Amino acid sequence: MAEVTLSNVRKTYPGGVAAVKDFNLHIADHEFVVLVGPSGCGKSTTLRMVAGLEDISGGTIAIGNRIVNGLQPKDRDIAMVFQNYALYQHMSVYDNLAFGLRNRRAKEADIDVAVRGAAKILSIEPLLERRPRQLSGGQQQRVALGRCIVRNPKVFLFDEPLSNLDAQLRAQMRLELKELRQRVPTTSVFVTHDQVEAMTLGDRIVVMKDGLVQQVGSPLALFRHPINRFVASFIGSPAMNFLDMAVAAQADTFRLTAEGVAIELPQLRFPRLGAQVGRSVTLGLRPQHLRLGSAGNGAQVAFSGNLMVTEQLGDEQLLAVRIGSGDLRVSGVDPELALTTGTRIDLVVPIESLHIFEGSTGAAIR
Amino acid sequence: MSAVDALPAIASRNRFFDALAPGGRRALFVLGIIGVCLLFAFPVFWLVLTSLRPGYAVYYVHRGTDFTLDNFHEVLSQEIVLRALWNSLAISTLATVLSLGVTVTSGYMLSRFRGPIPNLWFSAIYVFRCVPYVSWVLPLYFVTRALGIFDTYWGLLLPHVAVHICFFSWIMKGFFDGIDPSMEYAAMIDGCSRWGAFLRVALPAAIPGLTALAILCWLYTWNEFLFALILTAQKTPILTVVMAQFVHELGMEWHLMSATAVLSLGPALIVTIFGQKYVIRGLKI
Repeated sequence: MAEVTLSNVRKTYPGGVAAVKDFNLHIADHEFVVLVGPSGCGKSTTLRMVAGLEDISGGTIAIGNRIVNGLQPKDRDIAMVFQNYALYQHMSVYDNLAFGLRNRRAKEADIDVAVRGAAKILSIEPLLERRPRQLSGGQQQRVALGRCIVRNPKVFLFDEPLSNLDAQLRAQMRLELKELRQRVPTTSVFVTHDQVEAMTLGDRIVVMKDGLVQQVGSPLALFRHPINRFVASFIGSPAMNFLDMAVAAQADTFRLTAEGVAIELPQLRFPRLGAQVGRSVTLGLRPQHLRLGSAGNGAQVAFSGNLMVTEQLGDEQLLAVRIGSGDLRVSGVDPELALTTGTRIDLVVPIESLHIFEGSTGAAIR
Repeated sequence: MSAVDALPAIASRNRFFDALAPGGRRALFVLGIIGVCLLFAFPVFWLVLTSLRPGYAVYYVHRGTDFTLDNFHEVLSQEIVLRALWNSLAISTLATVLSLGVTVTSGYMLSRFRGPIPNLWFSAIYVFRCVPYVSWVLPLYFVTRALGIFDTYWGLLLPHVAVHICFFSWIMKGFFDGIDPSMEYAAMIDGCSRWGAFLRVALPAAIPGLTALAILCWLYTWNEFLFALILTAQKTPILTVVMAQFVHELGMEWHLMSATAVLSLGPALIVTIFGQKYVIRGLKI
């Protein structure tokens, strides 16, 4: 059991490509941290540096009280699950699980206890004599998890372990992973490009882009208070709507206008918008926060547009409403409601649910 | 969408076969297969036939009914043939073992590592492969003479191993490219060194490919003629060369040559039959 600390960690490949730029993170004991971001954002590279599979170009990585920069992977006391499971194809499941312990010259009797214990936790006991090729994707992933548990390492590392599974199995494995955490609490770093996995699994989420950490926080904090437009667009499903608007100051309000839409926001609630007068900002609206109806009071902002498409999901409807030249996505609409496409539709959103980002930098204005 | 687009193309491609009744299509296919088999099998069949005919009858193989095993008896009673058989067996096996030892590590390096050394090695192999095979023979003759290994095992082994390394490193690289490196990473995290991950995880996973290469290697050296002709003499006779030496000033002893050829076919056939499934499996990775 251990803490993991990354200080000013950098990775520059020969040729000057910087995959990770100045990564700082402290992971508490037993904490489950998810690194999330689009492909090429440096999340896997960061994980591989923690594992010791990539050299560290700068900064330090510490596991427990020990700086591990110069240590071989085998000496770091970690275990890793790979996207394609990486099971040893020429060994039985039992030997796969026992491999790490045998390398550490554990007694065969102790190995047997550990292997059968892990197999029991993961319900793979009937598979122990099989070869990896004879297992389904979900079973292989369980064996890969078992290989980690058996070793009882300080840190678990997960490199997109659910990406190769189909949607249904992925949802199930997500639950199993959460359950596993309770049974085998261990410091964990989990890399994924899937924000749903990040939200559901992480105690904390690190959102990365272009080798830089964008924001670190709990799932709810990231959802409610994204620090910039990128995080806002990445977290949440369906994704946030964005409208580019021009800002003008009036008596006691700021007037935001774009093609086919104009809204007014009280200056008292958005003091920092003052600096943006005469510039352009991006308004962010979560599909979940948009409701049908017209504005009843000053605590809401109203939009109006043409209903283009409705999608029936059974428990809700998704709408696409054309405002100006773009579409606003609306979710959580009563599935019983009969709506005619092509007609005018009014939407409202509470002022406190609005997100505003600087037009140039994309940074949130609060 | 794309599947729908592709349909008419497939239909037109098969129109000729569609016109045939299903049975006719199969008959045509079988005929084709038989034709190809005959094309390859007929010379071998003729060779075996010739080896079983007495010396005076080889030019009338298709006529006459006298068959004999005397040719084999005569060939096998010549000491040089027996020595050549043994030498060929030994050199093929030694060359296979030696070259695989190098090829495996060299292929692995080409597949997994980047940097000046793999690049240099890759270029060296590439250059070697660009040069016509025949043009190496004469320099090799001088080199082996200068080193005093002409007409010895080493004099033939070393050139063969060199050729194998160049030809088979690429194939070996392909095998390792097909093996997911994350298996080795997992092994390294599980307590192996880099070398240990190669030996204990990557190498066992490459066994089918390795077996296929071993068989190809062995057959290559067993069948090789040119190096053997130039780089050996009386001390180290090689079967392929001895076989050709039944052509002499008194004429060609086709019956003896055929018998020797059939003898040399034996081990190659055994290796091929035994190794067929490994070769196929290995080349499929």
